[in-house]
Amino acid sequence: MNNIVTVNQVTKTYGGQNEKTYQALKGISFDVQKGEFVGIMGASGSGKTTLLNILSTLDTASSGQVTIDNQEITQLKGNELADFRAKEIGFIFQDFNLLENLTARENIALPLSLQNVPASKINPAVAKIAQRLAITEILDNYPTQISGGQKQRVAAARALVSEPAILFGDEPTGALDSKSARDLLETMDDLNKNDQVSILLVTHDPFSASYCQRILFIKDGVISTQLQRGNQDRPTFYQEILTTLGTFEQ
Amino acid sequence: MLIKLALNGIKSRWKDYLVLFSGLVIASAIFYMFEALATNQNFIKQNTTISAAVIIFQLGSILLAIITLVYILYANSFLMTMRQRTYATYMMLGAKSGKIGQLIFMETLIIGVVATLIGIVVGTGLAYGVGTLLMQRMGGAIHSFQPLYPLAVFITLAFFMVLFLIAAIINRRQLLKQPILKLLHSSNTPTAIKHRPVVWLIEAIVGVLLLATGYWAMVHLGVLGLVLALVTIVLGSYFVFNALAIWVLSLLRNAKLASKGLNKFTIAQLTFRIHDYTRLLSMVSILFALALGAITVGMGYYNQIPLMADNAPDAYDAVVYNPTQAELRTINDLHVKSRSQYTFKTTSGAVYWNRSEFDKDPLLMVDPERSGLGDVTYVKADVAKMANPDTNEYLRLRDILLPDMRQRDSKVVTAAEFNRVGGPSYQVTALKVQNFRNDLPTIKALFNSQAKRFPQIKQDDGSYKYAFYTQLNGLFSGLEFMGFFLGIAFLAMLASCLMFKILSGAANDVQRYRMLRKVGARQKLLHQAIRREVGVLFLLPGILGVIHVLFGLRMFQAIMVQPYYKIWIPFSIFLVLYALYYLITTYLYRNIVLRK
Ligand SMILES: Nc1ncnc2c1ncn2[C@@H]1O[C@H](COP(=O)(O)OP(=O)(O)OP(=O)(O)O)[C@@H](O)[C@H]1O
Ligand SMILES: [Mg+2]
Repeated sequence: MNNIVTVNQVTKTYGGQNEKTYQALKGISFDVQKGEFVGIMGASGSGKTTLLNILSTLDTASSGQVTIDNQEITQLKGNELADFRAKEIGFIFQDFNLLENLTARENIALPLSLQNVPASKINPAVAKIAQRLAITEILDNYPTQISGGQKQRVAAARALVSEPAILFGDEPTGALDSKSARDLLETMDDLNKNDQVSILLVTHDPFSASYCQRILFIKDGVISTQLQRGNQDRPTFYQEILTTLGTFEQ
Repeated sequence: MLIKLALNGIKSRWKDYLVLFSGLVIASAIFYMFEALATNQNFIKQNTTISAAVIIFQLGSILLAIITLVYILYANSFLMTMRQRTYATYMMLGAKSGKIGQLIFMETLIIGVVATLIGIVVGTGLAYGVGTLLMQRMGGAIHSFQPLYPLAVFITLAFFMVLFLIAAIINRRQLLKQPILKLLHSSNTPTAIKHRPVVWLIEAIVGVLLLATGYWAMVHLGVLGLVLALVTIVLGSYFVFNALAIWVLSLLRNAKLASKGLNKFTIAQLTFRIHDYTRLLSMVSILFALALGAITVGMGYYNQIPLMADNAPDAYDAVVYNPTQAELRTINDLHVKSRSQYTFKTTSGAVYWNRSEFDKDPLLMVDPERSGLGDVTYVKADVAKMANPDTNEYLRLRDILLPDMRQRDSKVVTAAEFNRVGGPSYQVTALKVQNFRNDLPTIKALFNSQAKRFPQIKQDDGSYKYAFYTQLNGLFSGLEFMGFFLGIAFLAMLASCLMFKILSGAANDVQRYRMLRKVGARQKLLHQAIRREVGVLFLLPGILGVIHVLFGLRMFQAIMVQPYYKIWIPFSIFLVLYALYYLITTYLYRNIVLRK
């Protein structure tokens, strides 16, 4: 089996017993293979963040199964959940989510500290990932002292330092200017191609999506279409995404 | 419409309001409780002969008022962190700023008035409870204490009205004068603290030197020293927190242990907090010392009473003349350490003692040369000297006579001579017990029964230990009572200040803790991080406060012989209360930052 993520008939209903309920996911199924770079697109309110929150164990599904790296995550509880988050997955958010009272280095080291990795192993690991993401220079700066693009790289470094099975991103380029966004995407592309990092990227933006190998379109809580990049070059794929979005919107 | 929105806002955060509200109630209750004592001149005059007590209470009132002011400002900023975003959003959506200003003004004032009124009721109950408790402990030595005292009600109401009026004005101004954007995004990003080891080192040394100067001055310079000490200790505490604590934290941050779990995060949080809280922490450490000092000195006097009674020239805990059957039974209830029996006969001009009785069982007396408070040495009286009026032995023998016979000549004669003397004969039973205070009720019964049979005892009852003890008790219980009141009131206020300061920063930590959870921190680790963070913030001023007290108590060596006697009791009481505040703060803080 080469699937890193398998999602099977997942539903999510918001609202409790005495409240108005809303079904955001209506039995969604798909999978991501090891080393794949998959994008998820869809209109606002279509359930992208909901899906990602379930995959990253921040929220629970109402029904269905999710398997990540051969572990059924809907069964995990308490400490298992926390440890799973610390070891198996990495994520980057639109708003960076760095701790502003820690330096970049300390931010990156945090997941390792949480796993009680000895200090002697933490420093080399941080140095290695920092070099990979070209942020060695700013490691001892605080988040307020670095640019948005750099912040997102630090966030990516933190997500990757524990060598997770998969990297999730929810609009990671959303708060970046186009130059920084392009840099980040190229880095992700590079990590995917050369380090075999599996990536699942949620985005609105067709340009960001064009870096993916496969794109899933969500509509009304299920996958409605998907697009394979195949051997196309990026600009051509970008055009195809735009066309699909055009027809999709109708 | 806006009022409805405002009420809705309160409903959605009623838990936070409950915290705020109960905090304000406690503040006004404590203030009232203290005022009920401080404004009652009758009480103070009747319960202590020390004229300084009135001044101590007035000073205490002023100090408490200042702390309350600081406290209300912190509680108010807690209120504002809850409200300003909501109100700013209304303003952004076009609500008239005048209307919003009115709303926040009213909200602050109403919360304040209601909390104060409830606080006075609670305070009356509190004063009643604490008063009764202490009165029991002191065996009815406290008089004229009135839990509901009109002047105190008035002062409390007036004082809090003024405070809340000020708070309301501040809130209104803050909301109207600040740009809306700033109100919306006022979660303060911690400023990175510059690494300045040399400056820290200098500041830390200066701080420690200032503290040392203060401690030295307190012990050696008297009143002038106290003023000097107050200044240098306040400054010293400030420097110690500002430099020493941050310096130590920055060292810890680079230590190996720091990379374990959430340690680094906790250190970073603390560095930021201590930097931000320097003034508050120094204030808390000083108040901590004042409060703990008040309780310790108060209790110290109380503990000192039996020691002082022991130090009276008379060695015996009870002296009984011609015991009746009932009195003998009472004596059997005592935990007797030694029991001596002597006989004397009286004639019109003289008193005769049987020498052989003293040869068998010598009279005990306190050796004035080798005795001090809490360290009494007893010696056996030399029988040969007992007949010589110039000796201490003669005087002590006289002391166990009935007061109306003490003017007569005491003669110690042989058994044969004694038998030949005519006149009424008396039996004296002189008792020592194991613990005077424990047997106090029995001794009291014995004394009263004797005083009824021999009314002349009342002529000079100070020579009987029970009566002497009662006099001392009346004198010093008032002091203990006041020490306790002052101490508890100060403690409650300072701990609440710390609590609200921490809680009003909690809103900004929500994001951080959420993030830690996302990164995979276990729930247990998050709880631990919170416990440690809040713990250090409580511990640091506590430790410094304890050091202040330990040095400060030396000042009392002039008026108290053993200021450190049984010091663990007030310290334990105090620490338990302080720990309680710590637990409450941790609980509330956790509920805020880990809220789902
Ligand atoms: N906590 C919640 N309670 C109730 N409904 C929710 C909650 N979170 C999301 N929803 C609803 O679920 C639906 C999907 O939301 P979701 O945040 O997943 O959308 P999205 O695809 O990420 O949108 P966007 O592109 O705008 O970020 C929306 O209709 C939203 O209103
Ligand atoms: Mg979203």
